[in-house]
Amino acid sequence: MKGLFAVALGVLTAIGGFVDIGDLVTSSVVGSRFGLTLAWVLVLGTVGICLFAQMSGRVAAVSGRATFEIIRERLGARLAVANLSASFLINLLTLTAEIGGIALAMQLASSISPGLWFPVAAFAVWIVIWRVRFSILENVTGLLGLALVVFAVAVFFLHPDWSALGSQLLQQPSPHTDESPATYWYYAVALFGAAMTPYEVFFFSSGAIEEKWKPKDLAQSRVNVLVGFPLGAILSLSIAACAAIVLLPKGIAVTSLYETALPIAQAFGKIGLIVAILGFVAATFGASLEVTLSSGYTLAQFFGWPWGKFRRPAHASRFHAAMILSLVVALGILLTGVDPVQVTEISVVFSAIALPLTYLPILIVANDPKYMGDHVNGRVTNVVGLIFLGIILVASIAAIPLMIVTGAGA
Amino acid sequence: MTDHRDLPMPPPVAGRVLDADLDLLDRQILDPDGVPVSTVDDLELTDPDDLEHLDPDTPPVVSALLTGPILATRIFGGRMPDSRFIRIPWKVVADPGIVVTVGVAADSLDASWAERWMSEHVIGRIPGGRHDPE
Repeated sequence: MKGLFAVALGVLTAIGGFVDIGDLVTSSVVGSRFGLTLAWVLVLGTVGICLFAQMSGRVAAVSGRATFEIIRERLGARLAVANLSASFLINLLTLTAEIGGIALAMQLASSISPGLWFPVAAFAVWIVIWRVRFSILENVTGLLGLALVVFAVAVFFLHPDWSALGSQLLQQPSPHTDESPATYWYYAVALFGAAMTPYEVFFFSSGAIEEKWKPKDLAQSRVNVLVGFPLGAILSLSIAACAAIVLLPKGIAVTSLYETALPIAQAFGKIGLIVAILGFVAATFGASLEVTLSSGYTLAQFFGWPWGKFRRPAHASRFHAAMILSLVVALGILLTGVDPVQVTEISVVFSAIALPLTYLPILIVANDPKYMGDHVNGRVTNVVGLIFLGIILVASIAAIPLMIVTGAGA
Repeated sequence: MTDHRDLPMPPPVAGRVLDADLDLLDRQILDPDGVPVSTVDDLELTDPDDLEHLDPDTPPVVSALLTGPILATRIFGGRMPDSRFIRIPWKVVADPGIVVTVGVAADSLDASWAERWMSEHVIGRIPGGRHDPE
């Protein structure tokens, strides 16, 4: 059991990054429109996030510095504030979507309108952050989120035509003539950006400090990364596969969480649906915690405030005040009646600015012997890191034009 | 034309050389218990007697770390009035490493007044705010 809980940080981080409400729906949308032809992006994104999450975790464990402190130190206040604004906006929009996602998942379970669930969900997220210890928070949400494994199991129970599914993996760009190449690439960038969202490294590196990782815990950090993120990717891929098997042939368009759960209902009936909804609630709740904490972490680390759940709230007062404010703003946005799922789509644009400004400082500091001593990056890590930085740069430059050309993937 | 022999010599270096931009600015300031105080937003230097002809024997030295609401001026240029900065005198600095450690408790410094204010007036008053999480 101890081994299982030891990877909780990685699992929770990955669930927030790979199977939050935006991804639950996006994976499903992509599966129902493109089949598995975009699976390679998920693999690429997973390798990238593993590389940089592991780097940020190593920097945190060795030097005791979390990612946003490093961003401020290395980029200076001016560029760092560009990153902070973009990251904070992404966090806020994602948080809005996640709270909405909890409400949508609860609606599937209870038939009570999401509008009534919004305040309940936001309050529940706050009370957990306010009163629950970090280790309990990550273990419980990480474990419950595993309910989403039902999607992976469903892929086998749906008896797909494996060779057709397999050939989709290699078919590029799209098997459907009615989807334009620009739309295909728009979703490619969106999936890549979602896999590598900066708040994952903010959360992972800060979580490493919450758990007081030291250089001797580097092996644990590596296991966390290598178990958590691929697991998240497999869940995300399973959701896309389910949609490709069930929804694609019938031409069902995914517009909400309801369609995401449809393949499960077909495979396992009511029991499966209950497990899936439990997974939805756990994943969106876990993601809400991750994103709320990330907003607090980024602000506090940029301004040099005391932060962390290992301190009493009164000893990290501005950190907690920032998180309360974020939750209130997110709730306010939701109450205007926007579609929570569409909110995440917008955040892709801001993601474009923040991605390179987040990963470059990590790469620089991971090479600085003053911080890292003997644990500086090896040559292979640096080469792969630089290649990914190039890909990230291309993706971030392409994101906004693609969004305009395709009308956000419409 | 000045002969090169007239140029002031750099001051003799004793001990560790710190690059103000690289090693001090934007660094995290921690107290001895590891409690974050603030970041180094600017530096206060002693005024040389004559700015045009610096005396190599008494160069300006860093007299304090400054912290304050510097974002607007860092982005758009210009300089904030000195009165808006909070000083952390250089004599309390214990170790300028990858973080700047000061030798006095965070709570005793003016630089953490905002943290104390928020703690006393808002966060500390919410039930459970003064307890460890469970």
